[in-house]
Amino acid sequence: MAARSGSFYNVESASNGSLTGKLFEINWLLPTLVAVLGLVGVVMIYAATDGVWRYGALQHLMRIGFGGLVMLTVALIDIRIWYRLAYPAYAIGLVLLIGVEFFGVEVNGSARWLDFGVARLQPSEIMKPAIVLALARYYHDLRADRVSHIFGLIGALILLVMPMMLILRQPDLGTTLLLATSGFAVVFLAGISWRVIGFASIFAAVGIPLFFRFGLKPYQQERVLTFMDPSRDPTGASYHITQSKIALGSGGVKGKGFMRGTQRQGEYVPENRTDFIFTVIGEEFGLIGGLLTMGLYMAVIGVCIWLSLKCKEMFAKLLILGLTTTFTLYIFINLGMVMGLAPVVGVPLPLISYGGTVILAVMGGFGLILSAHLYRGVELPRSG
Amino acid sequence: MPPVSSHNNNTDKNLITRRTTILGVGGVGIFGVLAARLYQLQVLQAENYRALSDNNRFNFNMLMPERGQIRDRFGVALARNRQNYRLVMIAERTGEIEKTLDSVSRISPISPGQRKRIDKDIRQNPKFVPILVQDNIDWETFTAINMRLHALPGIVSEAGQGRAYPENGVFSHVLGYVGRAGNKDIEADKDPLLKQPTFRIGKTGVEAAEEKTLRGASGKLKVEVNARGRIVREWPDPATHATPGKDVWLTLDSELQEFAAKQFATEDEGDDSGGVCLIDVITGELRTLLSMPTFDANLFVSGLTQLDMDRMNNDPKRPQYNKAIAGGYPPASTYKMAVMLAALESGLINPDKTVYCSGKVKVGRRDFHCWKRRGHGSMNMRDALKNSCDSYFYETVQILGVDAIANVARRLGLGQSYDISIKGAISGIIPTEAWKKERLGTGWRTGDSLNASIGQGFVLATPLQLAVMTARIANSLEAVVPHLVISKSLPQFEPLDFNPQHLAFVRDAMWSVTSEPGGTAFRHKPFGTDSAFKGIEMAGKTGTGQVRRISKSERATGIRKNSRLPWKLRDHSIFVGFAPYDRPRFAVGTIVEHGGSGAKRAANISRAVLGEALRRDGLGNGAAVDPGALE
Repeated sequence: MAARSGSFYNVESASNGSLTGKLFEINWLLPTLVAVLGLVGVVMIYAATDGVWRYGALQHLMRIGFGGLVMLTVALIDIRIWYRLAYPAYAIGLVLLIGVEFFGVEVNGSARWLDFGVARLQPSEIMKPAIVLALARYYHDLRADRVSHIFGLIGALILLVMPMMLILRQPDLGTTLLLATSGFAVVFLAGISWRVIGFASIFAAVGIPLFFRFGLKPYQQERVLTFMDPSRDPTGASYHITQSKIALGSGGVKGKGFMRGTQRQGEYVPENRTDFIFTVIGEEFGLIGGLLTMGLYMAVIGVCIWLSLKCKEMFAKLLILGLTTTFTLYIFINLGMVMGLAPVVGVPLPLISYGGTVILAVMGGFGLILSAHLYRGVELPRSG
Repeated sequence: MPPVSSHNNNTDKNLITRRTTILGVGGVGIFGVLAARLYQLQVLQAENYRALSDNNRFNFNMLMPERGQIRDRFGVALARNRQNYRLVMIAERTGEIEKTLDSVSRISPISPGQRKRIDKDIRQNPKFVPILVQDNIDWETFTAINMRLHALPGIVSEAGQGRAYPENGVFSHVLGYVGRAGNKDIEADKDPLLKQPTFRIGKTGVEAAEEKTLRGASGKLKVEVNARGRIVREWPDPATHATPGKDVWLTLDSELQEFAAKQFATEDEGDDSGGVCLIDVITGELRTLLSMPTFDANLFVSGLTQLDMDRMNNDPKRPQYNKAIAGGYPPASTYKMAVMLAALESGLINPDKTVYCSGKVKVGRRDFHCWKRRGHGSMNMRDALKNSCDSYFYETVQILGVDAIANVARRLGLGQSYDISIKGAISGIIPTEAWKKERLGTGWRTGDSLNASIGQGFVLATPLQLAVMTARIANSLEAVVPHLVISKSLPQFEPLDFNPQHLAFVRDAMWSVTSEPGGTAFRHKPFGTDSAFKGIEMAGKTGTGQVRRISKSERATGIRKNSRLPWKLRDHSIFVGFAPYDRPRFAVGTIVEHGGSGAKRAANISRAVLGEALRRDGLGNGAAVDPGALE
């Protein structure tokens, strides 16, 4: 009882340094909300697969369970270890992405997967928390007055651009944008000056059209163009968006009822077990179901921001906020896509969509957030 | 300037909190936009999307009416429907048409010809119309396709109705067949059913003639479909059911028809070619209307191969040609009844007056020969028919003139076509002076009259017409008109308007042909030894239709025997008759193409068919089908 190993690190709240003691100190509101979202996913996948457990719902349940264990394990590991692992994790992510370049398994025309025999891994999903870890550490170590300095900027840019280029080559536009936005969010939070932001915006205004012209594959260009003008392609991507909107719209306020979605039964919305699962929610549970789901997500995000405020260290704050940004972007891009506000880029609805790597990455991310909060009293060194 | 050494100072903290707030507010704003969008979709535009969703969900499939059956007088199905498994494709539901067809072809091979037709159908039809891919596939293939339907988008397997003609081809000419509606059909008939690639329309025969009765009316079925066109659920509504077509009953007797067909069989030359028509002399009902040889109408339904087509077209016996109603043949000596009746009606010739037959008659510089080269000697009118003496009729026509004979022949039913529902009945030719002038532009010659008097030359008649002529002679009071489809009311006939005694004289002469020793078709017991036929006699007339000219040199060296000639040059064998003699019931007209003497092939067939018809009818005591019993 009296063994106070925690006091050595001057952890205010850690009255008990044992693992079980730590377990009680975890902020349990976040795991609870995450579990609820995961169960929403189980129910919706069950509906999307016409009530066949083994077509995804069961696997999803198991993955949520496994993901929960991973989340708690990560949460219990000392933040200093994560701090130390930040660059190695980033390096591993980069190596795996290079591996995709050479050994990637091609699905639907783009190579995003690595096949390890026992499991398939999507390295770009690993890269999402890794980039945040790396940038958080980078800014933690960087002196505040150098954040907007040219060398400070170049360091961050190198960290960001390397994985972006690799993921874009797969090609995976959605993940690239997601990664870039989370990265820039961390840079923004780290305190980059508005002057630099102004210059960057002007650069982007010129660069993005050029990027569209030369940086995107024809099918990616087509998706963006189709999004802007759905009448361009009546059978391809806009069919997807149109059917998705029909599913949502026909759901109305109350929805058609659980397992009663006709768009779903008729299989009019492709991929409604994965990226388009929100159409099942909207069709069967209506506006009420949709808003409740969004409310749950907002609650998760809110809790995360609240946890970040309670941390003192720059690394912890940036880590939590960066990961939260990634999570939020998943939701925005996915919902925007499903509702016809964003192009179809293949981003899942985190915790609800079927798909193993994403669940693992997202829940591992929550584990890091919980760890940062749990060890908020720990002082981190600064190598820089 | 002291360097900022710590991140833990207040400005730093405030900065990140400020920036977090900025991002947080932005995030809430985006959530707000998303929520507003959801509100727009699910509340403001909900009605619109609900309609689109229903539009996705429901299709109206046209329901095919079941085609009516065609039955014989006893109800035996001559044309019926059977389960037909087929594959159709809805082009708009198919991602890649070529790939899908290739996949189908791996399970159930599609020939290049079929492929061509499918491609044409796809081009010519709107994308939502089901295109027939394969018809009449067997159960094994059907189930194999069904197992793999999930991988064949747009392919729909159907168990539909196909037309089948079970009766062995002997009704093929009468029934005709069904086929896909052609462009002309679609132009003439606006029924949307015709545009359905799986619909079959009557093309010929009764199938075409009674199309309106047989077809019925289409219905609609509301079905719930999924994105690949698969039916998820049906929403049946009795108000939109298809109305099946009505059955059509024919006057024909299927067993008699088959019996008649068997009579055409030969020992070594397959089926003889020709036609036979057996008619009820009181009602005009056709009991047999047969053209030989036959063909299998089922081939036309399932799609004729080039081989079948070639075989039919190259067959000298022309199986697809309905000789019973469309085959015009010289009636030959069977025409002599008309000449005889004309002579009696004119009052110009005393039937007891004799003509001496030396074997030939000289008209101008030409000799006209009697079939009996040595001559018949003195012949009165009755004997002239009994012996079929040509010389007597050569003399007669020179007194009467050809027009008087033509007039009587027409009134007996020759030279006109009959509306027996099915198309193709020709009118034949009964020549007059005016006819020749109009048709050939040349004047009438005495030789033309002489040829016409023995039913040769320009005269042409069909087995149907010969049967009608015989029926009118047998009926003696009414101008019997044939019919093929049973109607609710018995037909009303015009009076025949010949002197009944004259007709009785003709009938007696016809009796002598078959029942008096020395008659050209005399048979001691025409219907066999069955005691049931005791006392039942028949009357008739033979005819031997000349196909070639007999040259002078041939006459000098002796006419070759018919059986030694090539088939194409042999005489047509013709016979007409009726029975029972004393109270006529049925009349028959038979032509066997290149069958030789009328006294042989055609007479035998006629006797057999007449006898069988009588036997099946209770030997003349049975009644016709009571029309009131129908429907």
